Amino acid sequence: MKIKSKWLSIFLVLGLVLAACGGDGEGTTTTAGSGDETTTTEDMGEDTTTTEGEMMEIATDVGVDLEAGTITVGLLSDLTGPFGPLVTAIVAGHNAYWTQVNATGGINGLTVNLETVDTVYDVTNHVQFYEELKGEVVAFGHSTGSPHTVAINSDLQADGILAIPLTWYSGWTDPAINSNLLPHGTPYCIEAMNNIEYMVGLSGLESPTIAIASIPGDYGLDSAEGALLAADALGLEVVYNGVGKVIPNDETTYDEVAAGIVGSDADLVFYTATPGAFSAVYGRAIAAGFTAMWSGASPSWNPAFVAEDSAIREAIARDFVGSSYYEPWDGESAGAANVREVMTAAGAPATDYYGEGFIEASILHQVLQAAYDSGDMTQAGVLAAAKTLTSVEFDGLGPTEVYTGEPNDIVQRSQWMTRPSLESETGTMIVESNYTSDIAAAYEFTGACYVLEG
Amino acid sequence: MLYTSYEADQAMVNTTTKRVALFLFVVFLVAIPLFREGAIGGGDNPTGSLPGPSFLAEGDWLRLLATVLIFAIGGLGLNILTGLAGQVSLGHAFFMGLGAYVAAVFGMPGGGLWGLGLPIWIWLPLAGLIPAIIGVLVAPTAVRVRGLYLAIVTLGLVFIGEYLWRNLDFITGGSQSGRSHPPFEFRLWKEEEPLISFAEDGTWFGILNLDSTGKTYLFLLVLTVLFIVFAKNLQRTRVGRAFMSIRDRDIAAEVMGVNEFKYKTLAFAISSFFAGVSGALLASFVGRSIPETWILFLSVQFIAIVLIGGAGTVSGTLMGSAFVILLPRIIRDVTGWMQDVVDAGDSFLASIFDFVVSTDQADFGLVNTAPGVAPGLGIDQLNLVIYGLLIIGFLIFEPLGLYGIWLRIRNYWKGWPFTY
Amino acid sequence: MPELFILAQATSEGTNEVAQLFVQGLALGSIYALLAMGFVIIFKATQVLNFAHGAIAALGAFFVAVFATVWDVPEAWMPDSPLWVSWSLAVLLALVVAFGLGMLLERTFIRPMIGEELFAVAIVTLGVDIMVRAITNDFIGTNSRPLGDPWGTGVLDLGWVRIAHTEIVQMVVTIVLVVAVALFFRSRTGVAMRATAFDQEAARAQGIAVGRIFSLSWGIGAVLAAVAGVFLSLYPRRAAGLDTQTAFFAFAAFPAIVLGGLDSIIGAVVGGLIIGLAQAYSALLPWEFLGTGFGGVVPYLVMLIVLLVKPYGLFGTEEIRRV
Repeated sequence: MKIKSKWLSIFLVLGLVLAACGGDGEGTTTTAGSGDETTTTEDMGEDTTTTEGEMMEIATDVGVDLEAGTITVGLLSDLTGPFGPLVTAIVAGHNAYWTQVNATGGINGLTVNLETVDTVYDVTNHVQFYEELKGEVVAFGHSTGSPHTVAINSDLQADGILAIPLTWYSGWTDPAINSNLLPHGTPYCIEAMNNIEYMVGLSGLESPTIAIASIPGDYGLDSAEGALLAADALGLEVVYNGVGKVIPNDETTYDEVAAGIVGSDADLVFYTATPGAFSAVYGRAIAAGFTAMWSGASPSWNPAFVAEDSAIREAIARDFVGSSYYEPWDGESAGAANVREVMTAAGAPATDYYGEGFIEASILHQVLQAAYDSGDMTQAGVLAAAKTLTSVEFDGLGPTEVYTGEPNDIVQRSQWMTRPSLESETGTMIVESNYTSDIAAAYEFTGACYVLEG
Repeated sequence: MLYTSYEADQAMVNTTTKRVALFLFVVFLVAIPLFREGAIGGGDNPTGSLPGPSFLAEGDWLRLLATVLIFAIGGLGLNILTGLAGQVSLGHAFFMGLGAYVAAVFGMPGGGLWGLGLPIWIWLPLAGLIPAIIGVLVAPTAVRVRGLYLAIVTLGLVFIGEYLWRNLDFITGGSQSGRSHPPFEFRLWKEEEPLISFAEDGTWFGILNLDSTGKTYLFLLVLTVLFIVFAKNLQRTRVGRAFMSIRDRDIAAEVMGVNEFKYKTLAFAISSFFAGVSGALLASFVGRSIPETWILFLSVQFIAIVLIGGAGTVSGTLMGSAFVILLPRIIRDVTGWMQDVVDAGDSFLASIFDFVVSTDQADFGLVNTAPGVAPGLGIDQLNLVIYGLLIIGFLIFEPLGLYGIWLRIRNYWKGWPFTY
Repeated sequence: MPELFILAQATSEGTNEVAQLFVQGLALGSIYALLAMGFVIIFKATQVLNFAHGAIAALGAFFVAVFATVWDVPEAWMPDSPLWVSWSLAVLLALVVAFGLGMLLERTFIRPMIGEELFAVAIVTLGVDIMVRAITNDFIGTNSRPLGDPWGTGVLDLGWVRIAHTEIVQMVVTIVLVVAVALFFRSRTGVAMRATAFDQEAARAQGIAVGRIFSLSWGIGAVLAAVAGVFLSLYPRRAAGLDTQTAFFAFAAFPAIVLGGLDSIIGAVVGGLIIGLAQAYSALLPWEFLGTGFGGVVPYLVMLIVLLVKPYGLFGTEEIRRV
């Protein structure tokens, strides 16, 4: 028996120590200590206790503790799954925003704490964490993933809690669905229209041919639907349709779609996928000698594509056209400058994704403030305050978000266009700000581009 | 143990101690939802409750317990196939997915996706029967191939299942999008208002208040008990003995007259029935499933449940299910507690825990509470590491699993103070 | 077969599709062959079905990524030499570490299980897989990691077929390794390993240190897996490099192993090539009817068909079962 346990224990200790030393030291999207934001109970920042002047009568139930002076907000995030680097940076942005706000008094003296959980982009986990957190938080600062948010939507409605979706699926603008949601940003299908019109302009071709492909699911299919609409509106010939044909991690689908794109000899390619699936198909295509202009929905891009050791860096810098729903790191607006200042002070590396965190946090800030002012900070009160929002502005970091009016009038249609850059810290450079394509502006938005069945 | 009659020996609960203990345990399980504050009492704002650990009755723990029950049903199925009949199967996830989609097709109203809108007393049994039939169809291949080759063939079943779920999008909703599953509610036939709905809180006898999770939990408890009784009974019947003989020496069994083909097929069928029902319950409990729910890792979870609990034993499977499902939550709570101790400041415990837990990039630690940022294993990854270690550890040190540990404890106390 | 005639004509890119798929099939098949060979060596010597093979492959590739791109070893020591020399040395270094890792795993987790039921040991390796994969994924992080190989996006364009430089290297290295393994089994230690695989007790009686043979077989298996892991993470297969999903690729090699026979090394190589070619040529199937991702299922179907005819694989030895 001795032999069994000795080696086992050595291995265990070794393994755990190695694991501790390893982990995410490198990489462009890790953030430095904004410190302790991921636990619930501690106060951060300055110790501001009660408000000056009179204490208002505030109704609270869950997530707001007037005695301790804290407000707890939940973040259902994908930190180690397919969109890990993206969401990790977004969470860092959230944290930094609230640190800044808490340092200047919070919400009338109440500090905001974030409870972040890692769902690993799994629906069952998402639902389980929702159930756990709904008894601890006053609202959800973000909920990652379209099918995941759909899964908890009926529960949100039954429980009367607010959530901000961290997905740009066009269905969130539907009043029948979004009673407990605050969508923001340009939906995937409108983004596709913008990207394609921009690409056509950039290519200088009269009537370029286009290949369209995507992974399945609301993310991929919504974006692809927009691409098909754009091709139709611009009169482009779709020479290859691989919509929903790429299955992440299934090599044969990569081969098939890459072969299809190459064989179609298209001038433009619009392909929405996870970064891994995108680079796999792109790599195969250029190995076959294919050259064209490529684009896809914003989450298809990963700055690691132009990292120092990446095999495809020159090629993709030449071919790729990127987009962003909010101003990237290098932007000129006051909002972007604020992001740069705050994140650099926190010691975080330069990356484009913090902006989303700031935007979500800004929306939530306005909601919480409105709830406080109305004297009702229960979960239902916060939800009601959210529904009274008319518009939210972001100092130029993102287009003004309007919440009252017909979906066709308030849906977001403008975004930023970017190109990869081998020199810049973030891997991208902005080429166009607040860009709305003609077809997107003219598009009659009557409902979700891709309708989620069942 | 001295048994004076064959019946006494074969009885499922054979001693008075066992009977009493079992009765008390069942009473405890049934009473769990009543530990919640406000569970007892009439009127608008009841505040009474049964004395007991009230945290168990809170929404999220009660949900975990309900999940334990669902996985127990599936685990019992795999236990019959692998523990009792000795047939290695990694294909459990396939049959679970199949059961879930059968339930969806029969139970959900039609619309964009296939659905017939039939009541629960049709879709739940069908969710077991149809996978059982498919299990019978799969069995001949499995029978022809043995041991480790069988493991890989059943592995193939999971991948074929993934391919089917992805492409049959008129049933499954398609990759990453998924579909909703029928809620738990009783109707006689397609009426508007269900007789009993588990989605709302309810009051029984005027004084017992159960919330929707409590009602669902009790419903699942009843189902689980039914399956447990069936499984335990199976062990002592002719069929069960045939299974065990095949597991031990299949050639000798055949020589003795046990029809290997028939019994292996039966084992697959029964196991698939359990798996199908378990899958349907899981999908309806979460409310929504995507084709990526039914992947290899789900099968591995069941193998872990059976092995960690103790292959071949019913109580072992139940313990294994509780262990595997509750472990992630316990790890999370423990690391959260360690984090609190560290934050609270100086104490001996705090300095030890500081070594173990890390919160940001600069902090050294084995486990981090800021995934993706701080070094060390994330909670999810720590779960997996402990999972793997437990599987390994139990197989190396205690092949009988938790049941074996239980036996040792029990025998120790029985023989105390005579340890030999 | 009119389809094949049409495809035999050059496509608009100038490549002959049948030939192109053949090359792709060989490249894929060589990876499967390496995985299968390592697996079978472990199985033959220790009777263990190693579910952890994929995790070891990913970990091996991770070592290469760290040596070549993070620590710059041995590039930092020999700055004037061409990139492919220093990179190859980095790979060799990583393989040495992988060898040690294989031996460590065997010693820690497999040795205590000697004499236990085979199924139990297989599940132990499943546990090892879960564990090693979780730790490796933690090291890899959420971004992909390029391996820093010197061939980048280079492609050899012969007109009727295009072969990426990495694919050429793959096939050459695979041939070298197959020959090396074949020669190894002629050597003294190799014969000792064959003897142990055939009959453990008799081998022990002959004075062979069976424990050391076990460790050696796991070390060799780990090295082969690591090489396969490196090839998996190169352009154009995964242009962005190694990521947390790479380990799952090994499951695609199981059909190759079973097809060839669990205890036959020739079977492993042949099986790997067959499955690779089958998967590549599945691109010719009418996709509309079969939906997406059928190519991923093809290996398993091929395996099932072969097993129905030959339940022990093409080259596997029939098990003699005694009561």
